[in-house]
Amino acid sequence: MAYTERVIEHYERPRNVGSFGSEEAHVGTGVVGAPECGDVMKLQLKINPQTEVIEDAKFKTFGCGSAIASSSYVTELVKGKTVAEAGEIKNTQIVEELALPPVKIHCSVLAEDAIKAAVADWRGQGTTKKDAA
Amino acid sequence: MPTVVRCWRCQDEHIPQVFCPACEALQPLPPDIDYFTVFGLARDPVLDEQALANTYYDLSRQLHPDLHQTGTAEEQEASLQNTAVLNRAYRTLRDPVQRGQYWLELNGEQLGKENNKVPPDLALLVFEVQEQLAAVREAQSAGTDDARAGLKSELTQVWDDLDDRMQGLQQKLAANFSKWRQADDASDLLSGLKRVLSEMAYLRTLTRDVEKALSIF
Repeated sequence: MAYTERVIEHYERPRNVGSFGSEEAHVGTGVVGAPECGDVMKLQLKINPQTEVIEDAKFKTFGCGSAIASSSYVTELVKGKTVAEAGEIKNTQIVEELALPPVKIHCSVLAEDAIKAAVADWRGQGTTKKDAA
Repeated sequence: MPTVVRCWRCQDEHIPQVFCPACEALQPLPPDIDYFTVFGLARDPVLDEQALANTYYDLSRQLHPDLHQTGTAEEQEASLQNTAVLNRAYRTLRDPVQRGQYWLELNGEQLGKENNKVPPDLALLVFEVQEQLAAVREAQSAGTDDARAGLKSELTQVWDDLDDRMQGLQQKLAANFSKWRQADDASDLLSGLKRVLSEMAYLRTLTRDVEKALSIF
């Protein structure tokens, strides 16, 4: 099955690849994996502790083109959203944007899970780390 | 699935097996025979892999088409067919992950997409090893011999750790299966079984990536 243009576009020019330095505060990190294909995805959200707005996002994914495109698109999608808004993002939105075929839907599910994991990680950091900077 | 078949030579009725228990004539295995039965084993995903290998080699020899060149047309045909079935059965059963998945299928279950949640620490491990592999690929084209040697020993250590973890999962799987056999209502144990199998599948994909990287040194 050929990749759609939008998948190829994200794959060739992925947005926001990388990670935040370990010294940076207010960063939630989610690492999620798909055992059936071996893919693994890391998504990091830099969150303003006062407004709970996601100010920046970075990702790194080892996997197929659709997994890379899904996570790349998600970093664009979440920027400027509040944590609560980001938590409502559904994988179907990713499927539509990238026109993913049925066999690649799990890549979008993985990206949705990554958002939730990153948010949960940020919330779980408690007050100590959030107040650090 | 037929539970009883009839010998083409002596008409003896018996459960499917390679040789007729009455007249010892080579029997064509039914194409839908389950892989455990091919080896004369109970449908149990926990098995002695060495014994399985020994049985496989024995049966391969006994079934080999060269041995049956002078046999009847039925025997020649059965020898070819059975060899194919035997090879398929062995490829599936020798591997604990495939064996477990096959066993699930026999029980009307499969590793579905709903089981694709892996524990966070495993996802993190996979991520870290993939980063190491990416570094290895870079060093292989650009690094010095010393750097390459260092990476190779690091990667070997990674492989050992993954292997340990895999062994641990295999033990967990075996323990889960024996619980499953003893339970009256085993439906809630199935999800745990699937989770372990799915972790094993994930780990194995990673292990193969590491092996591929090691093979280039």
